[in-house]
Amino acid sequence: MVEEALILQDIHIDDFLTIFVSAGLVLVFGGFYVGIYTAVKAELLKPWIMPFAYIAWLCTAYCLYLMGSLMHVNDFTAKTLVVAGLSLLLIPHAVYYMLRRVHEENEYIHEENEEYVHEENEQHVQAKNEH
Amino acid sequence: MANNYLTSESKKLATWYFTFAAILFGAQLLFGLVAAIQYVMPGFLFEILDFSVARTVHINALVIWMVFAMMGSVYWLLPDETGIETVGIGLGKLFYWVFVAAIVVVVLVYLFVQVGPADQTTIWFIMEGREYLEAPRWADIGIVVVVLGFIYNLYATGMKGKRTGIVTVLMADMLAFAGIYLAGMGYTDNISVDQFWWWWVIHLWVEATWEVFVGAIAAYGLIHMIGAHRKVVEMWLWIEVAMLFGSGILGIGHHYFWIGTPEYWWEIGALFSALEPLPLVAMFIHVLYDWGKQQGAQEAQGKEVSVVTNKPAFTWFVLQAFGNFLGAGVWGFFHTFPQVNLYTHGTQFTSAHGHLAFFGAYATILIGMFYIAVQNKNGIKVMKATKKSIWATCMIFGGVLGMTVALTLAGYVQVLVSRAQMGATWAGYFDGQAGIWFAQGMDWRLIMGVVTFIGFIILIKDLLSIGSATHHER
Amino acid sequence: MAQKSVWSDNRFWQRSASWITGFAAMLLIWLTFDTIPQIMMGNDTDIKEGVTKRVPGPTVINYKITYEMSKRRGHEIPVIGGANAEGTSSFQEKELFFGRDDWSQEEAMEMLALGKLASQAKNCMNCHTLLGNGAYYAPDLTKSWLDPMWGPEGPLQAMTGKSTKEEAMAEFLINPSQYPTHARMMPKLGITAAEAKGLVAFLKHMSTIDTNGFPRNFGKIKGAVHGK
Repeated sequence: MVEEALILQDIHIDDFLTIFVSAGLVLVFGGFYVGIYTAVKAELLKPWIMPFAYIAWLCTAYCLYLMGSLMHVNDFTAKTLVVAGLSLLLIPHAVYYMLRRVHEENEYIHEENEEYVHEENEQHVQAKNEH
Repeated sequence: MANNYLTSESKKLATWYFTFAAILFGAQLLFGLVAAIQYVMPGFLFEILDFSVARTVHINALVIWMVFAMMGSVYWLLPDETGIETVGIGLGKLFYWVFVAAIVVVVLVYLFVQVGPADQTTIWFIMEGREYLEAPRWADIGIVVVVLGFIYNLYATGMKGKRTGIVTVLMADMLAFAGIYLAGMGYTDNISVDQFWWWWVIHLWVEATWEVFVGAIAAYGLIHMIGAHRKVVEMWLWIEVAMLFGSGILGIGHHYFWIGTPEYWWEIGALFSALEPLPLVAMFIHVLYDWGKQQGAQEAQGKEVSVVTNKPAFTWFVLQAFGNFLGAGVWGFFHTFPQVNLYTHGTQFTSAHGHLAFFGAYATILIGMFYIAVQNKNGIKVMKATKKSIWATCMIFGGVLGMTVALTLAGYVQVLVSRAQMGATWAGYFDGQAGIWFAQGMDWRLIMGVVTFIGFIILIKDLLSIGSATHHER
Repeated sequence: MAQKSVWSDNRFWQRSASWITGFAAMLLIWLTFDTIPQIMMGNDTDIKEGVTKRVPGPTVINYKITYEMSKRRGHEIPVIGGANAEGTSSFQEKELFFGRDDWSQEEAMEMLALGKLASQAKNCMNCHTLLGNGAYYAPDLTKSWLDPMWGPEGPLQAMTGKSTKEEAMAEFLINPSQYPTHARMMPKLGITAAEAKGLVAFLKHMSTIDTNGFPRNFGKIKGAVHGK
């Protein structure tokens, strides 16, 4: 196996600023993506704004690429960055899907919080009995 | 503050904890200012209260006020969550005074004895000299005893009363929180082994157990302040636990790049650090989503009023989601990869990240808890912001953000001059410190520190007076 | 509640959280068992047999230390007693340390232990960084033993009027505020002569720890790296 050195090349002095700015923007755009997506789904924003969420994600992906290439990351770290970028794309979808399911399933309980507490108590007793 | 509406002993104890936490918070800022002045005027208090002493008190007061406020928060929410009075409240009160007394002694020793001879008596009675864990060993043992008492109370109450998801998470998390402290109590001649275990405490506290703790507090806050659905919030809490521990525990790898540990930590650190911001993003969505959902449901019923029952506290909770994302997320992410960390490690970048992350992730939500306590202590149904609370929030948040930006610029100069061009020699270090951007960064840090401190004074005034304001719904 | 999805089931997430946490914790413990033996301090026998350790034995203070680029690893590594053909430590070239180059394992360990203890008792870490960790008010000490400023041509050695690096460092540590190093001076911390000697041994030993190339390009003169 050829050992690949993780840190072989120096970062060029003019690249530092780009690296820091793009690394910072990764999460700023990531935040915009997630924020806009969630806000639209929670009906705080109009649906036509949604494409901007995906544009923000594309900016995130570009920043990750820029940062990674200027840092001269090795193959492993490059894969890591891709995984992180894709996870960011998926997370709000997954979260929204799950939250909606829970909200739907529990809609009738929500109306009466008392009822829920009651149910919770039962579950608690049940859990104790199981032991 | 004449009328005390609190009937629960546990909540009364919580207010004691919050009070001492606020005092230590003040001490933290005051000694931070001393250290900041020393960067600008190096002769300030030289050989009277040197930078090392000021910084020791600055960071220790930080950790301890947060621990106090965290313990207070647990005592606060236990009766609400379990439905019963906290078990062993007498023990809790006794240990509170033991803890306060121990801290006062430790701080006085830091200030007036400062350093000792190179033998074990210094380690036992004066200071251990390891950043964040400076407390001498007698105090370490005392802390363990006090925290065990606290955990006993938590477990006894959790097992006797109703054990909600929030309580279950807290029970597991607090045990880990206390257990990890033991990793930092030993002494070794080997600096690499020393720092290896030292990071177990520091990292597994602030990037794992404390994060989960604030997740639980945020869940409690959402249920009580905006009436979010417990089922949803608790499911979400478990997902956060999975994400935070899943990325955070092995994220410790990013502290093992350069302390003598093997090279494979580069890969482990890079991988898990890249994932670490994801739960922070997720926590951010959660708050936003639940708030939108609740407000939407309210408006659907034709009521235009806000669902928030405690405006100032909720503001701090939202700032927590934002600050955590910004401080731990953005400021953490841009120097977390080994390729870049090689140049940024040990520069003001770390300090910038530390300031915003500790503040954003922890200080914010704990200040929110202070407001919740004030609300209930005064029997207020819907607490609204005052002019003071708005000023305090803006000045503290703006001040810390300003300090962070100033330190980031200073760190950038250090990276370019001291590290990239001059290879981290002493000459490089001094050249970097002499840079105009660095010097101005330090000036601005001091100015912003003063802004933060004034904000803090307004905050305390507000906490003491907001309860008697007349515009709340009672 | 009949058609309950697993994704919205609290129990499912509770179990997932437990499993993920448990798995991550086990992995960390396993890696700790792998890492700790690799960073245990070596001893004099290792050095005599030419075995390179990440944290070498205390008798490295008898040897000349340098910090050189390793082609194979892609970064600088500490080289003890001169380099061999592969560019790693040959443990050959000795160097006097406080007038001797035959400190025994026990003597060297005693000095190093005193130095490590002093580094904590004097709270070094709240101004300096050690292995890059600590405060940023004063220079990093990781490779301070190799720093040109303390070398024979360096201004700091000349300032103390001593003829060797170790004596200069020890003298400075005992009376730091007598010497005008920088506007930010080091305060007098009551360091004794024995403690100072121990601290210098601790610093020399720390410079031999394999820090995976931190700091980078150490000791390069201004302009050598990117021609700025």
